[in-house]
Parts: sequence; C-alpha cells; structure tokens
Amino acid sequence: MKEFKYTITDPVGIHARPAGLLVKEVKKHASAIKIANKDGKSADAKKLLALMGLGIRQGDEITVTVEGDDEAEAAAAIEAFLKANL
Amino acid sequence: MALDYRRCAQEIVDHIGGRDNIAQAAHCATRLRLVIKDNSKVQKDYIEEIDGVKGLFESNGQLQIIIGTGTVNKVYDEFLSITGMTEATKDDVKAAAAAKQPLWKRLLKPIGDVFVPILPAIVASGLMMGLVEALGKAIPSFAGSDWYGFLDMISNTAFAFLPVIVAISAARVFGGNIFLGAVIGLAMVHTNLLNGWNVANVDAINSFFGVTDGVIPQWHLFGPILPIRLTGYQGHVIPVIIAIFIMCKIEKWLHKHVPEMLDLFVVPLVTVLATSLLTFTIIGPIFATMETWVLKGAEILVGNVFGAALMGALYPWTVIMGLHHMYNVIEAGMLGSVGLNTWMPIASAANFAQFGACLAVGLKAKNHKTKVVAVPSSLSAALGITEPAIFGVNLRFFKPFIFGMIGGIVGAFYGALTKIGATAYGVTGIPGYLTIKQPLHYSILLAISGGIAFALTWTMWKEPESEAKKAAGDEKSPASGDAPAPEDTQKRTAGEVVSEVPLGLSNVVITSSAGDIMKPVNGEVIPYTKIPDETFASGALGQGVGIEPAGEIVYSPVDGVISSVAGTNHAVGITGPNEQELLIHVGVDTVMMNGDGFTTYVKEGDKVKIGQPLLKFDSAKIKAAGHPNTVVVLLTNSDDYEDVRYGENLKK
Repeated sequence: MKEFKYTITDPVGIHARPAGLLVKEVKKHASAIKIANKDGKSADAKKLLALMGLGIRQGDEITVTVEGDDEAEAAAAIEAFLKANL
Repeated sequence: MALDYRRCAQEIVDHIGGRDNIAQAAHCATRLRLVIKDNSKVQKDYIEEIDGVKGLFESNGQLQIIIGTGTVNKVYDEFLSITGMTEATKDDVKAAAAAKQPLWKRLLKPIGDVFVPILPAIVASGLMMGLVEALGKAIPSFAGSDWYGFLDMISNTAFAFLPVIVAISAARVFGGNIFLGAVIGLAMVHTNLLNGWNVANVDAINSFFGVTDGVIPQWHLFGPILPIRLTGYQGHVIPVIIAIFIMCKIEKWLHKHVPEMLDLFVVPLVTVLATSLLTFTIIGPIFATMETWVLKGAEILVGNVFGAALMGALYPWTVIMGLHHMYNVIEAGMLGSVGLNTWMPIASAANFAQFGACLAVGLKAKNHKTKVVAVPSSLSAALGITEPAIFGVNLRFFKPFIFGMIGGIVGAFYGALTKIGATAYGVTGIPGYLTIKQPLHYSILLAISGGIAFALTWTMWKEPESEAKKAAGDEKSPASGDAPAPEDTQKRTAGEVVSEVPLGLSNVVITSSAGDIMKPVNGEVIPYTKIPDETFASGALGQGVGIEPAGEIVYSPVDGVISSVAGTNHAVGITGPNEQELLIHVGVDTVMMNGDGFTTYVKEGDKVKIGQPLLKFDSAKIKAAGHPNTVVVLLTNSDDYEDVRYGENLKK
C-alpha cells in the first residue's frame, strides 16, 4: 500500500470539474484508490459523487491511499496529476 | 419531538368528514391534496390547529393541507392506511377536481386559456382601433385621409384575422399542431369568401326586398343538404375554438391509428380536410343561424326599456360569440327610419360596464401579470373595444364579467328611459360623445354602468389565492416547509400565464437500462455537448443534458440518496436506483459565487423522492456574476451503462 499527503492549492477545491478530471486519471489505474479529507472521511476516488461529497477546499490536506498491483506507478501518476491540476 | 404522523393523519381524516367524504387523495412536495365531496363537512379551523399542519387552503377544487417537506409523505402513508384508500397521482386529483367544477367553468376555462396569450395582439389593436375610429368621427377630413386608411387597416388587422390568431392559440391549448390550426383559421377568413362583416348588411338588404336566397353564393358539396355560404368568419371566436377543438381530436386520433410511415402525409391532409368540412357545413351554419336570431331578438328587445335593460346584460355574451359586429345593421336601420340611433347607448352601457369591472380587477389584483393585462385592456374597453377586457380578464375570473352585466343592465335601462340616442354608428364608450345627442345623460349612463361594475368588482371580487400567490416578492422559501408544488413554480416562472406545460417531472431527460431520470427544473433541454463549458461538453463528467432554466428550483429527478452537496450549495450529487450517480450542477463556474444566490434543502445522506425540492437558485445573481445559468444534469457513471440516451421527453 502506498500513501501520501497533498495540500490542495486550486481555489475551488476538488469540485465538479477538477474532480471529474481526477476520477478520469484515477480510473486509468487498476489499484484501489482512496482519498481522505482533513477530517479523515474517505471516499473511493473512482466515484465522482463520493469524491465531491468530501467537500475538499483550497488549503485542505488530503490523504491518498493506493493499494494494488500497480500501486507504485499509480501513486506517482496521481501525485503528479494533483500537483499539475489541484 | 418528532411528529406523530398517524395521529396527524387520523385527526385530518376525522375533521374532513371521514373516509366517505374523500374522493381522492394525493400529495406533492409539501401538501396533502384532497378532493372532498362535501366541503361543508370540513372543519377548517380545527384542521389548522392539528399538530403538524402548517396551513390549508382550497384551490382548483382541491383542499390542500400544508404539512411540509419530508413529513407530508409519511402523513400521507398513514392517511392511506387509515382510510384504506389507494394512492392517487396528482393528475388523478386534478382530473377529479376538474370534473367537480361546474360545467360552465369547464367550458370557460379553455376560452381564457386560448385568449390570454394573444392579448398583446388584440390589446394593441383594440386601443389603436378605438383611437382611430374616434379621430375619424371627430375630424371628418381625417377620415378620408391616407393616414386614416393606413391606421385603420393596421389597427383592425388583428380583429379581421382574429380567427387565425385564435386558431393558433387554441391548437396550442388543445394540444394540436399549431400550423394546422393556422391553416383552419386562415381558411375561415380566406379571401375567396365574402367578408363576414359585410354579409350581415347584404342579408338585411335581401330580407328587405324579400330575397331569401341566391345573393350570397353557396357551394353545394352534398347536393341539396348542408350548403356552404361563402362567408368568412371575420372577428369570430367561438366557432374557431370549436373547430380547433375538433381538429385536435381528429389529429390525435389519426396519429394513434395511422402507421408511422404514412403519418406525415395522411394525418395533416385528413385533419385539415375533415375539420374544414365540419366547420363549413355544420359549425358555421349553426352560428350563422344564431346570428340571425340574435339580430332579430335584439331588434325586438330594444323596443322597450326592460328589453333594453336585458340587452345591456346580453350584449357582452354576443361579444363572446363574435356577433356584435352585426349590430351595425340595427343601428343603420334606426338611423334610416327614425334618425336616432338608440342602440348605441345600450351598447355603450354594456361596454363601459366591462371597462369598470376590468379596471377594478386591474387596480385590485396583486398578481403582476393580471395587473399589466387588465389596465390596458380596460382602456381599450373604455374606447369601445371590449374583447381584451372580456376574454382576457373579466370572463377568466367570471365574477367581474357578471358584475359588468349588472352595470350594463342598469346603464342600458337608464339610456332607454331617457330615450337618448346618437346620430351615427360605429363607436361606443368615450368616443360615443362624438355622436351622442345628449352628452349629459350619456355621462350619467357611463357613470352608472361603469361605476356599478367597478364598485361591485372592487368590493366583491377576490383574486383567486393561486393567482395572488404568484405575485412578485410574495413567494415563501421552500425551506419554511411551504415549498411551492412544482406546477406552481412553473406557472410563476414560465413565460406565459396560461400554458400548463406538462410537468418537467414526467419528462424523462436521461434514460438507460438503469432507469429514467426526470427533468429536474423547467426549461429548455440541450444535449450535454452544447453546455457552454468545455469540461461538461466534453463528456468527461458523464453524459446527460443541460437545461436553460425557466424555473429557479431544482427538484429531485430520481428517488435516491443525496451523496454530496457542494459546500457552496450550487451542486448536488444523488445516487439513484441501480447505482446511477447523478450530478446536478447549477450554472457554469458558479462555484466562484461561494454560495451566494443558492440555497439547498437537503444534506448528504438524505433520502429524496422524485419531485422533492433540492435547491433553489437565483438566476439573476448568476447572470450578474457573469456565468451561464445552465443547469447541468449528468449521469456521471454513464460509462457503466451501454444504452444511455438523453434529450427531451424521451418516454413520450
């Protein structure tokens, strides 16, 4: 299992559009990927509504956990995606 | 403390006269909607005091008990179990309520529905026609000028071709093709037919010379029976509405029974042909005969004061029938025989009374739309053109129309008693001063008829609650538990007062093997690819539709569970049946508005039912912030289903 933390810099947080892009990215990987918000509530990152339900705003620190066969590369790709987009 | 639903339901049942007194029961987002057999058994005061009841009112033949979002369905379930009734849909209740209304109300409703949308056309024409005619009378040299000819033509266009306008509107009301309706309307005033306004004069001359047949050409389609007189239906209303009603029935029947392949050329052709035949051979002649009777009757009536008073009451009815254009014949006859037109004061009394009633409605109404229609309509009526006032206002509320009749009776009686008359014909109301011989008596006549109608309407007419509620700034927030039912909102926000557009909530906009998703807000549906935002349009967030909203409340389009509510209140996620993940996002980039202009009524984890209000938004604020207000409805996991379709009315 891989886990890393990331602080959101996008002014609108993980909202509809960035969330949609994130889900698309996440779906590329076979691993189970979860994102937890600052309160520790976590959601399946492949589900857009669940992800949006976390209510992640700018400045929030999120915890991403990746577990599966391709976890190493998945975690790296997602981290890169977050840095580029969120 | 939680509400005891069963007890609440039991108390309601006990105080509306028990199970036997309930014809039907349904509920909307906030209210129990009951059709009661005998309203006198309803103990309103008591019901208002029941724990859980927030208010009640009667509307459209229904007793509506306000209970509130989220609880009404529970009270309703208990209500059903106590009464042993079965669930009725809102449509059932509406139908039962409509059936309960008296026949005349059911007959009048379509007339109002047909007329309100066309009012702008006839109010403009009515005012202009009144002014032009008055000027023509006041300044004889103007009457012969090119300007007069031009203005006269423009101002009477809407009335001369009224059947066309009425036909289009009626086709829309009765659910037919409006272009076929236009064809029928046009046929009724076709240039190959004699102008109906002139025919009455021809008839009068004929009967004077003892000619009974032959001058007005006829077609004999079926040999000796059912001849068609080649006369147009200028200025007519009722025959047109009847014709279009029949047309729509024929058209709908054909659509059902004609194979789809042949539909496009069989249905329109047969519809137009069958309707025209019926109109010209049966509906038309019935009205022509009635016209003759009305003319004869009117001539006899005005011979004495009581008859004249009666005529003052009947006059507006003849306007409804479109028969009042024939009265010129009577007036011309009077001028020819005794040199005094005593008909004009009677017509003026009747018209001015409708003016008074209409003005009272305009001044008293809280509903902005009623106001802006009633005031100019009353001005037109004061100038003698009463169609806008009668059809658009007085008849719709009916009581003002009756009060107008009463004013007409008294005014006409006074006119006949004082034997006042005019020296010409063609104008009534204020322009009547130009032709009247006794202006003082005429002033009294106008004051009596208009005044009585105004006073009666002012004191005894009450704006229907449903109308008053639509008044601007008078809406309650659904959060207070009194959410407007979806259809109320539509009426308030749709462009027109009349069209009871089918509820968005029976309109499927996205469908797949996983289930149907309804239209959550009223407005125009566009495919997701046309949403003015790259991400939404790309389909990255799933397939679906955008809606250019006409309403401002988003209702749940599925039964499901709220899976997310944006912190800024402008978007809601719902998990529907079979794991459908639905996103409703109001506006584009509206996240920037930080919640200003948005209110949500649900929170994460709430169970919602179809039609339950989810959130309210302020289109004006969204636009002011520089964003499109398109409501985005996407099935975010549309990839999971292979048969997703989206668009308007997919299941119709």
